[in-house]
Amino acid sequence: MAWKDLKNKVKRQLSDYLELPGDIMLDLPKIVLVGNLQVFIENHRGIQEYNSCLVRVVVSDKVIEVTGENLTLRNIMPDEICVEGLITGLAFLS
Amino acid sequence: MFLKMLNYLYGYVTITLPEEYLEKFINMATTRGIYLWGIANAFGNRVALNVRLRDVQPLRHIARMTRCRFHIVARSGLPFFIGRLRRRQALLGGALFFVIMLYALSSFIWVIDITGNRLISEAKIAGVARQAGLYRGVPKWSVDTAELEKSIMQQVNGLAWVGVTVDGTRLEIKVVEKVLPPDNGAQLVDIVAQKDGLIKEILVLSGHPLVQEGDTVTGGQVLISAAIPPLKIEEEDKNNADAVEKDEHQLPVQYVHARGIVRARIWYDGYDEVKLKEQVKRPTGQEITKLCMKIGCKEIILMGPRQVPYAHYVKHTDVKRLPTWRNINVPVEFITVKYIEQKIYNNILSRAEARRLAGNQTMDKLRLQIPDNAKILKTQLREVKTVSEEPIVRVRVTVETLEEIGLEKPHRSDGGGNGIVDGKDGSPSNGNQNNT
Repeated sequence: MAWKDLKNKVKRQLSDYLELPGDIMLDLPKIVLVGNLQVFIENHRGIQEYNSCLVRVVVSDKVIEVTGENLTLRNIMPDEICVEGLITGLAFLS
Repeated sequence: MFLKMLNYLYGYVTITLPEEYLEKFINMATTRGIYLWGIANAFGNRVALNVRLRDVQPLRHIARMTRCRFHIVARSGLPFFIGRLRRRQALLGGALFFVIMLYALSSFIWVIDITGNRLISEAKIAGVARQAGLYRGVPKWSVDTAELEKSIMQQVNGLAWVGVTVDGTRLEIKVVEKVLPPDNGAQLVDIVAQKDGLIKEILVLSGHPLVQEGDTVTGGQVLISAAIPPLKIEEEDKNNADAVEKDEHQLPVQYVHARGIVRARIWYDGYDEVKLKEQVKRPTGQEITKLCMKIGCKEIILMGPRQVPYAHYVKHTDVKRLPTWRNINVPVEFITVKYIEQKIYNNILSRAEARRLAGNQTMDKLRLQIPDNAKILKTQLREVKTVSEEPIVRVRVTVETLEEIGLEKPHRSDGGGNGIVDGKDGSPSNGNQNNT
């Protein structure tokens, strides 16, 4: 595990130094919130759970939990998910 | 937007599947590159989602692997629409018939407009166009606009230009008429007096002057004649004996188009009277509107007062009724009555004020008679006095103007002479009857 941490640390420093966006270098999700109406999650690894008040999306090593009302998945593409509805919360679960 | 259109073109289906299989199903579909959208909760514990028509077959494979069953609940898009249309061929035929008819009927000319003509009648131009093969309902391809222009130009006299344009199903014939110069030299013209006056100045450009400066002329009198009598032999030529005299007899009278400027002084008279004490009604600015409906002979007041609250008023009535059709007359009328309150004032004027007012009123009346280009030389205001003192001011205004009185008229052979002609004889109504 220490080896992986070290590798991540080097990667982060390198991306900071080269000013490269983290979502490419570190394989991190990019989340765009449009008000409380839409969430775009890029770089996802599929969904874990879906119902009208909770959506769990798997990203590289975490799970993003979107809570709200009347949630729908507007579209799902291999690299992007768009969740629509009245969003009340967004949390990272590890 | 673009994606939605593409989805419509490809066709898509809405499927439902149990909620508990959803995550696995979606993850497998997305990793296989199947595009899913519009995932929402449906009735029960099922979830609805949209998928393209061509991805349904791979989804069956995924469903088998996840051991769930999905149901197709809705089909939309162009492929399904075509399928539905194939079953309703009458509808398709009707639509096709509509398009064909629209196209076919728009290839005829249905409206012919003729614009720009003033003296030449529309019927004449239309008649010529009819002969050239243009009528309502003629196919567009059989109309040659250039040919039509040419034939209208040739067959209708007095046209300077013809333009034919086809605009949809409307054909417009634009014409410009020839404007002939007022004088083409063929006609003999005298200059006659428009009105009575005293000649101030006379300038003859061509023709023979019959009057001099200082002469009094009456309306219709010939001022400059078209007939130029032979030149008088001057004194020294008298010596050249009878040969010349004979020549003079043979010299014909020359005829020209008389031209010239004749300015004359003209007097206008006007009279008016103003009472010193007068009752005048003026609106107070108060008004009230009554709206009523008349059915048969019964009147129902919809809005406004029953009795008019003014002592003096002016009434404006506006009646609206339904248009009559054949001999059916609906006996319903809407009547709007507007009452404008009036108040009576006693208008008391001093003698000087009344005099000025009367003078202004008379001048206003006279100005209507005086042409615009006239120059006013003198204005004289005279109060008419009566023996007994009356509460009335009477004024008489005399305006002296200098204006051009020459008017072109066809030449008359007995023309004018050199004396004063009777004014009535030369008036425009019968002036042209004696033409030779």
